[in-house]
Order: sequence, then structure tokens, then C-alpha cells
Amino acid sequence: MRFLEDMILKLGSVDRRFIFILIGLAVLIPLMRPIDLPIRTTPTTEKVYNAIEEIPANSKVLMSFDYGPSTKPEIHPMTLGVMRQVLRNGHQIYITCLWPDGLYMALDALEEINQEFELVEYEDYVLLGFRPGNEAIVKGLASDLRKVYTVDSKGTMLADIPMMEGVNNLKDFQFIFTGSAGYPGTFEWVQYGGDPTGVPLSSGTTSIQVNEVMPYVQSGQVKGILAGMPGAAEYESLINTPGIAIQGMAAQSFAHLVIVLFIVLGNLAYFITERRERKY
Amino acid sequence: MVLKRYIPIGIVAFFGSLTLFGWFIDNESIEAFVNDDATQWYDIIASFAIFLGALNLLKLQFLKVVKRQSGWQYSVVAIASFFFAFTIGFFMKGAFFVGEEVYFTQGAAEQAIIASGSTETVKAVEWGAHISTEGGLFKWMFDNIFTPLSATMFALLAFYVASASYRAFRARNFEATLLLLAGIIIMLGRVPVGSLITPWMVMYLLVFVGTIFVNTYIRSRKIVFGVFVLGLVGVTLLGMNMNWSPTEPAIFFLPSLQEWIYTVPNLAGARAIMIGIGLGIIVTSLRYIFGLEKSYIGDQ
Amino acid sequence: MAFSTIFGAWIAAFLTLGILSYLYRDNPFYKIAEHVFVGVSAAYWAATFYWTQIYPNLFGRLFPKDGPFSFIAEVDFNHEFNILYLFPLLLGIMMLLSIFKQFNWMARWGIAYTVGIAAGLKAYGYLSSNVLSQISASAVDIFSGSLPFFNMSGDSVFNNIIILVGTVSALMYFYFSREQTGSYGKFTRLGIYFLMISFGASFGFAVMGRISLLIGRFNDLIKFSDPSYNYGTFWMLGLIVAILAYWSFKNPEKQEV
Repeated sequence: MRFLEDMILKLGSVDRRFIFILIGLAVLIPLMRPIDLPIRTTPTTEKVYNAIEEIPANSKVLMSFDYGPSTKPEIHPMTLGVMRQVLRNGHQIYITCLWPDGLYMALDALEEINQEFELVEYEDYVLLGFRPGNEAIVKGLASDLRKVYTVDSKGTMLADIPMMEGVNNLKDFQFIFTGSAGYPGTFEWVQYGGDPTGVPLSSGTTSIQVNEVMPYVQSGQVKGILAGMPGAAEYESLINTPGIAIQGMAAQSFAHLVIVLFIVLGNLAYFITERRERKY
Repeated sequence: MVLKRYIPIGIVAFFGSLTLFGWFIDNESIEAFVNDDATQWYDIIASFAIFLGALNLLKLQFLKVVKRQSGWQYSVVAIASFFFAFTIGFFMKGAFFVGEEVYFTQGAAEQAIIASGSTETVKAVEWGAHISTEGGLFKWMFDNIFTPLSATMFALLAFYVASASYRAFRARNFEATLLLLAGIIIMLGRVPVGSLITPWMVMYLLVFVGTIFVNTYIRSRKIVFGVFVLGLVGVTLLGMNMNWSPTEPAIFFLPSLQEWIYTVPNLAGARAIMIGIGLGIIVTSLRYIFGLEKSYIGDQ
Repeated sequence: MAFSTIFGAWIAAFLTLGILSYLYRDNPFYKIAEHVFVGVSAAYWAATFYWTQIYPNLFGRLFPKDGPFSFIAEVDFNHEFNILYLFPLLLGIMMLLSIFKQFNWMARWGIAYTVGIAAGLKAYGYLSSNVLSQISASAVDIFSGSLPFFNMSGDSVFNNIIILVGTVSALMYFYFSREQTGSYGKFTRLGIYFLMISFGASFGFAVMGRISLLIGRFNDLIKFSDPSYNYGTFWMLGLIVAILAYWSFKNPEKQEV
């Protein structure tokens, strides 16, 4: 028993670079040797899926790419999944970005989706692009979209785009989805977009933001939420299109297990030290 | 004093009041100004602020190089990178179309036409669209320089979170134990591995932890051993009698338990924090509008 | 694969591994990558904001086609000339001039404008969505009999009571104008427990988020190690490890006293 306690104490004072190596291996090995793990969906993810399924036929869906490359692994699979579900159901997509990097995330997403759907610009989608201004942009979209966007991301006048006919503010959309990594994002869409206009709104956020957005989900201001990469994996399983989120779940699972073991070991070492100090 | 203090305070008071009361005033021209022009001006000034930030950065890096401060060589790298990206953004279109193919320079596009013997002409993108053109030089810089750096900076934190979990997170008291338990249940319950841990395993683990707890108070080995065996047998018999499936009882099934914690007690705490922050922001905004808060002009 | 794609992948691998080398210790590769990030991101943001906002929305309204200033420049985005836009131009120029010490105060006008607009926007937004809507969502149905008593993952009387009690007790904890003793103190203590559960859940989600980002980076490094990218990751890893080993030998780590 004493030997075991001494070993745990020794592990408690190991150089942190060994911990870095262990975490690195816990993530790298499952990525190089993929393992299939069962994906169990949660009610909050199912709410997003059902909300999109319930959109009336031939609707206009506004998607906001409010994330950048630093959070792409978490949110990009969500936006790809939502685009797939929306396009499969025959709706049109209008893309806006509150983050400057969001424009490039949108371009990447369109390039990937185009391989499946053979999209026609200005018939299936319009890439409105990025505008700086954070919540002011959302407020502007809620009142007069054409004052915020006179041209799309390629410089084409909105007046010359047939798909933009009859689209003047947020109320002309039947659904809003935001892939959000922080500020501006879900909060701003709820406060200045969804709540004032009553347009149904769903969101996919980074894991860190999920807790902050949860009260909106319970109150119904946001119709469900995709919570980080696990949420994206659940969504991919719901739309039957496995992607990088599902592929990453094994690595995510093992990394979490390793961290939980670290926490338990660290606390065991702490309790042993406390007990010995009390004895003496 | 007027220029440096009273005019800024007046600007905040005027435009703040106009924006706030603009939500409630039913006047077309005021609404049009508040919803459209006022927000456009906000965006424009924010854009100039970005330029100011970039200029400040250059100033600091230049001073470091000129004064030969420690690490000045790296400042040369920062300045060179800045001018490299600045040139791509402002002085090079970087996207010349020959049919569907995109080339970084006009020369490369023309050479491609000559090499293929095509009759196509070179089409350059418009200024402004060049930063969003797929295949263009600006996008290349974004994909291969900005993205890896930005993403990896954040990814580094994964290692430090693991190291902190090991070295710093201690269950020193009841509150800290609650925090750690909630964190562990969420971490395991939200990922697929959580659904592989059956409730039976969790219950056996609880029996083990309970036995350790009993051992701290009762020193008799026979009693402690008896408690442990009784616990294991009791759980097993109960499960067999109740015919529990691999996901029952739900209260010990990690995904169900984490779902309950996430949507009930966690929600309560998060909602309280949200309401508290909301009240704080309303009060602070009103303080700015009424001129009581002047920190933006450097006053305490 | 195009040379620019392969070359770009090698640069991406080098920069990624350079940042990750910080895990070993602070070193020249990390410093180079960090300073490249600083320089490139400043210019990237400046270019993006200029071409998406200043050029179409400011210059587009001050120098439109057939406008009074079209002799200076013509920026055609179908806007009409609007002389009021001289105001944000003035504030913007003042902001830029503030880089000189004697004109430091000039930035205050632009900052004041943004503070005023943000204060007006946020006061209403937070009041409506974060306070009133959340309070009304806390007032839940527990007496009508339409809900089950307990449910692990859906609406139930028990869950709604817990949410209500937790929200009120945690909010009462934040009221520091009254001493938290006696029964009031016990109730606020309950609020602390709810807050601890919330922080624990936030910690769990934070870990989840960071690991997800690491998965993304490793996925890219694995992609760039492919033969189609000429084994870029392996070459860059070998280069960095070799040079770092030599550098570590020449600069041994100082032992902490």
C-alpha cells in the first residue's frame, strides 16, 4: 500500500512535458488509427435537426458564418451539416458573416458542398459576405438588409440578383442559423435578430460558449444548440453523413479519459500528501 | 478642455441617447438614421481603429529595431511579414482568371494561355473582390499562413488545460468537489466513450468509493471487507431482479446524468450569471450615456 | 498538385510545428512564428476592413459616380452622395492622427462615438433578451398537472423547481449589499453550489473545446504528411527537431531555484 502511495506521489511531480506527450499521443493515435464509436444524440441537437426539418417548403434560410480558422474544427462540420440538410430539403441559402474570417470559412464550405450538390450561384445560394459592425450589422439586417449590403462578396449589385427579390430584412427569411465562435455571434443574433423579428433561430457554438447560450435554449429563444465537436458529430449522425466530427470523436473520447485520469491521480496524490502531513 | 473632454462626453450622450431611444421612437427619419447611417458610421470608425492598431504595432516594432532592444531581430520578421501581407492586400490583385483557372499574377496567366494555345483572355478580379476570391493570392496567404498560426495558438491551450487539470485542480472542499465532479461527468458523458461505461460499472465504482469512506471511520478489516462484498452483491442482485438494460438505471448512466446536470442545475447557475451580467451591462451603458462613466477618455 | 499548394502546405506545417515547439520551451522557431502571426494578422485585418467597409461604404458615398467629388475619384457602388459621411471620415482621420503624441486626444472623439452607439444598442438588447426573457422563462408551469413529476432529460415539475430555486438562490448570492448570514446565508450557500456545478460544466466544456481544436491541427498535419504534399510534415518536423536539438545543446535550460 505504501509502495502504491509512493508511486502515486512520484507521478504527481512528473515534468509537465510528459503530460504534453501523453495528451498528444491520446489525440494523435486515434486519428491515425480510426476507431468507430457509437454516437448518441442529445435532445438539444435533435431540436436543431427538427427545427430545420419543420421549415416550410421552398424557404429562404439565412446562415451566418461567425467563426474563424481557430475554431474551424468545431463549427465547420456543423455549418456543412446544416447546409446539407437545408439543400436536401430544397431551400435557398443566404450567407452572411459577422467575422472577417467567416467569409473564408463560407468559401471553403461552399467549395466542399459544391462537390455533392453542384450548386448554382444566385439560384441555390448567395454569398453576401462580411460586414464589420458586430451587433450593428444584425440590427441593420433586421431593419433594412439593402442598406447593409448593396453588393455581395463578388461586387455584384443585390438589385441584379434574382434570388434577392423580395428580401429586404430578416423577416423575409424563414430560418436563421449561426455558427458562432464568440463575439459577435449567437448572443447578438438573439438580441437583435431572433427576438425582435420572431424568426426561428438555431445555433452551433464552440464548446466553451455552450454554457452561456444554454439559457436561451431552455427559454426557446434559440431552437436547440449544436455543442462543439460532439454536437457536430451527433448532427452528422442525424443527417446520415459522417464527416470530420464523427472521425474526431475517438480522439476526443480518449483525450477526455486521459484528462479525467490525470485529475483523479492528481487528487489521489493530494489526499495522500494531506494524510501524511496530518499524521506528522 | 472642451475638445478633449466635453465634446467626447457630449458625443456619447447624444448618440447613445439617440440609439437607445431610437428603439422606442416611431419617427421614420430618426429610425432610418439610427438603424442605417449611425451603424454604418460605427463600422467605418471601427475600421479606422483597426488601421490605428496596425500603425501602432508598426511603430512599436520599428522602435524596437532602431533601439536594438532585446529580440529586435524578431521585430524585423514582424515588420517584413506585415509589409508582405499589406502588399498582397492593397497593391496586388493576386487573382487573374483564365477561364476557370486562377493565377496569382498577370504574367503567369498570360504564360498559361501561351502554353495551352487557348484563345481565352486574362480577366482580373475587381479591387475588393480580390480578398475573397477562391484561389487568389490573398486567400492563399489566409489558408497557409494566417490559419495555421491562428488555429495552433488556440490548440496549444489543450496541452495546458491537461497540465493544469493534473497539477492544480484539487478537491479541497465541498464546492471544489462539486465543480470537479460536474466537470468529469460532463467530459465523459458528452463523448461516445461515456455511453460505453455502463451504469453497473458506475455503481460498482460507487461501492468501491463508499468502502474507502467507511474504512476511514471503521478500522476493522472484516467489517470493511463485508461492506464491500455486500455492496457488490447487492448491486448485482438488484440489477438482475429489476432486469436493468445496459443504460439503466438512467441516474447512473453517464450520458443521461450529464444531460440532467447540463439542463437543470447547470442551467440555473448559467441563467443567474446571464441575468446578473445583463443587469450590469444595462447599468454601465446608462452610466456611459449619462456621462457618469468617463473611462474611455482616461478619467477614473 | 500545383506548386503553390504544396509550397503553402510546407509553410503551414512549418508554422504549426513552430508554434507547437513552445511546449518544449520558448525557442527561436516559436518566436519567428509568433512574430509572423503578429505582422500578417495586422495587415490582414487592415486589408479586410478597408475593402469591405471603408472602400464601398465610405468612399462609395463620398465619391460616387457623377457626385460632386467625382473629379477626385469615382467609387461606384450605386450609392448616392451623402455629405453627412464627412463626419465618420473626420473621426476616422482624427483616430489615425492620434498615433502622434501631441494628437493623442483626437482618438477620443471616435472612441466616444463607438461607445455611445454600443451603449445604446446593448442596453436595450440585454434588457430585452437577457433579463426580461430569462426571468419569464424561469416562471414555469408546476401546478397544472400537464408535466410529469420527474424526467431525466425533458420538462418535469421537479426539474423546473430545481431551476427556479437555483436561479433565485444564485442571484441572491450576487447581492452583496446585505450580509449573508443566518437563513439568508444558508440559501445563498445553496446558490454557490449551483454556481459551482455551472463552473464545473464550463470547465468540462472548455476542455472539450480545446481538445477539438487540437484535433483540427493534428488532422491538418496528418494531411500534409501525405506523399501528394511531398511529406511536408515529416521534412519540417525533422528540420525543427534537428535544429532545436542543436540549439538546446548550446543553450541548456536554466534550472529553477
